[in-house]
Amino acid sequence: MKNKSLLFMLIALLSVGLFLAACSSGDDSEPNDDAGSDDEEATSGDPVEGGDIVAAMYSAPDHQFNPIFNTSSYDSNILDLTHESLIKQDENLGFIPSLAKDWEFNEDNSELTYFLNEGVKWHDGEEFTADDVVFTFTALADPGYVAAGGIRTNFVDTLVGYDDYVNEKTDEFTGVEKIDDYTVKFIFEVPNVKALADTSFNIIPEHVFADVNMADMPSHSASIDGGEVIGTGPFQLSQYQEGEQYVLTRHDDYWQGKPNLDSVTWRVIDEAVMAGMLENEEIHLLNRPGGVPAADVPSIEQMSHITMIEAQDLGYQYMAFKFNHGPNNSLTDPTTWIPNEKVQDAELRQAILYALKRQDYVTGLLHGSGEVLTAPFPSASWANNTEAIGEFDYSPDKAEEILDAAGYEDVDGDGFRENPDGEKFTLNLDYPTGNEVREKVAPIIKENLEAVGISVNLNSPRDASAHFELIEENDTDIDLYLAGWSLASTDPDPSAIFYSTAGLNYPRYTDERFDALLDEAVDPELAFDQDYRKDKYTEWGQYFTEVLPIIPLFSDNINYAYNNKLQGITFKSHQILDDAHKWTWSE
Amino acid sequence: MYKYIARRLLQFIPMLFIVTIVVFLLAYLAPGDAISGEPLDPNITPEMLEERREALGLNDPVYVQYANWLSRAVVGDFGQSYHYVGRSVSELISSRILNTIYLSTFALFVTIVVALPIGIYAARKPYSLVDYGASTFAFLGLATPNFFAALLGIYVFSFGLGWFPSQGSVSSVGLEGIALFTDKIRHLILPGLTLGLASTAIYMRYMRTEMLEVMGSDFIRTAKAKGLGPRPVLYKHTLRNALIPIITLLGFEFGTLLSGAVITEQVFNYPGIGTLFLTAIQNRDYNVIMAINLILAVAILVGNLLADIFYAVVDPRIRYD
Repeated sequence: MKNKSLLFMLIALLSVGLFLAACSSGDDSEPNDDAGSDDEEATSGDPVEGGDIVAAMYSAPDHQFNPIFNTSSYDSNILDLTHESLIKQDENLGFIPSLAKDWEFNEDNSELTYFLNEGVKWHDGEEFTADDVVFTFTALADPGYVAAGGIRTNFVDTLVGYDDYVNEKTDEFTGVEKIDDYTVKFIFEVPNVKALADTSFNIIPEHVFADVNMADMPSHSASIDGGEVIGTGPFQLSQYQEGEQYVLTRHDDYWQGKPNLDSVTWRVIDEAVMAGMLENEEIHLLNRPGGVPAADVPSIEQMSHITMIEAQDLGYQYMAFKFNHGPNNSLTDPTTWIPNEKVQDAELRQAILYALKRQDYVTGLLHGSGEVLTAPFPSASWANNTEAIGEFDYSPDKAEEILDAAGYEDVDGDGFRENPDGEKFTLNLDYPTGNEVREKVAPIIKENLEAVGISVNLNSPRDASAHFELIEENDTDIDLYLAGWSLASTDPDPSAIFYSTAGLNYPRYTDERFDALLDEAVDPELAFDQDYRKDKYTEWGQYFTEVLPIIPLFSDNINYAYNNKLQGITFKSHQILDDAHKWTWSE
Repeated sequence: MYKYIARRLLQFIPMLFIVTIVVFLLAYLAPGDAISGEPLDPNITPEMLEERREALGLNDPVYVQYANWLSRAVVGDFGQSYHYVGRSVSELISSRILNTIYLSTFALFVTIVVALPIGIYAARKPYSLVDYGASTFAFLGLATPNFFAALLGIYVFSFGLGWFPSQGSVSSVGLEGIALFTDKIRHLILPGLTLGLASTAIYMRYMRTEMLEVMGSDFIRTAKAKGLGPRPVLYKHTLRNALIPIITLLGFEFGTLLSGAVITEQVFNYPGIGTLFLTAIQNRDYNVIMAINLILAVAILVGNLLADIFYAVVDPRIRYD
């Protein structure tokens, strides 16, 4: 993709040159005209009534507009404007009211009660009530939900009675309870410090789906068709041309006030023509995933009618060590694991950390649009505490020093270090295709490590399906691999990735202290206090940098861009589509 | 003739059967499945994915999966997409196949209308200005990567001159009648020309070479010697013979018509079968892969059958009994 953009710029330059050459031979009498009109464009006029804006994304949605079945972030671009959850997040990722105006926990934090806003109308004019909330969460717990295509059970599996309900031992889901039309209570099996995060899920209308079989729900017209998809958000999906355009029109009865804009149209465009379309105002807003590619940032900064805003993405890329091998039929059972002797030395992992020129990956490959990570919390997350954890700058000398001290020395004089037993030592590095920057980093990592004498066998990249199937397995000869996570904004708990017995603990790293700290950070007695949690994650982060089960490489920034005539966007690092009813267009 | 066609059509059945087995096996043998792929969201656990896999029947033995697929496919049910939750394969294909047909037909039309006459002219007047010009164009066309031509076209004709739209197959949703038709045509021109460019270049060269070769053969000399005028020699004797290999090629081209054009579709965001097929392969969306393959196999078989029939039309000596 980036090659394409580059080529595009070359063509653009060439053609502009031709045009200028053609122009200059013509009329020279008004040399300052261009500059004058530019200035006029830069100042935006007065907001007008209505307005239709075009927002752009690089890939077509999967076309599943039922939030309980949606998995694609492209579809989320649409759902974020059409649907709402009980609570949402502010720019510091704290929770603020949305469909619920307030909430409270009971004495022992096992029950969370929401008080809903009254007078909220669905797109079809029906009133939003506690029944819709109960219906949505009961649907997520439905015995047929996963078979129908759903994967969001993590929003209900901590609620009371989930196991009985999903296994059809009872007909009633007791985890969520309607108190009255505007009060709804969530009851947790054990007090859940992530209760707010786990209940912030887009609500779907009971009156539309009540009589629909779970198995038919994803293909029901209310999950797919324009005009049929019903939410409470400021805009409604009214029409679409599949794979090209999705027209969202104003919801006049929106509970926070009638939206200013008449419509927001999402267009799917190719990344290579994005800059041109922003420039000639065919598109007015560019959102994630993707945003402005780092290589295009300079050319878009030149456009006086476009504003760009850089925000950190919550995801990160990393290089992991495969600590344990073993049979593939017991992936998460540490008793069957066989240690991979090559990567057990913490000193070796430290040395590798110092040997990687991570800042160069950010400045060179991301054009500075990113950040080197120390612990696996991007700085946008409240759990991050880089000051306390410290940074680990590139230092090949330090790396060599550590390696020498640990006994990794080049005995046979071939330029590469042998292991402390004097045997040949080569690390196998595997990486996937699919993320262009990550693909470019892999050979540089090999170069960086060989510069300090660690021999690396870089395997050719596999496509994502093949790579991730392989690194999930234990029976491999992989020592190092590259991968990435894109984290939810709602809660920073990394247990799903790092806990010894977690399925996604692909490094198969096991460490009692590591697990204990992760447990303490969500301890129901103490962890309802966010400062306590932050301290625990700092402690975990400090320990993390000692043991280094993975080396976080970098976190991308995302560059949002919008036309200056579009005003009133609420920028939050995780979301720019909140409060779209306040957006205005000026001529 | 009709007997011949009927026999050929019957031969399709075992061939298609073999094609489906081979494709199914290849798709199955590729590492990963519809559920694997980069797990980006840590909230979706491997246990959950295993449950999905079980629900989709991906854990069944390959012959069970194939039998399930076949028993549905013979009655025209291509099943549900594994990747696009809630969408059936026929829905996905039908929403894109018309775009692909428009685009490839347009490109083929451009190819035939431009390449054949110029090829013939260049052969009639070899080493003339037109011949050199055509050759230069052909080499340029062949040497230009598709996406480069596409971006050049977008920059000049869309952003620069504003003649044609740069993205999509329509400019807004909800157009009808004549307005929709002209809008579709406007959106077709840039991607159609881009796609037609490379094949125009190829066919122009083929046509010229074939014509020159036939012109040098004995029966043309005989025709000239018996006093036939230059026009009948050219159109009755030379052209008909020169067209035979071209028709063979066009027969295959008809098959690839439906396979779409990934790069052109992507750069112009003209959603067609090509990009659907590519993402289906990346996602191991077996049902979609199988359905598209089946369509392609049928198209290629039909294309070749048509070519065989056209041989008889162009060259009366060829007969099928």
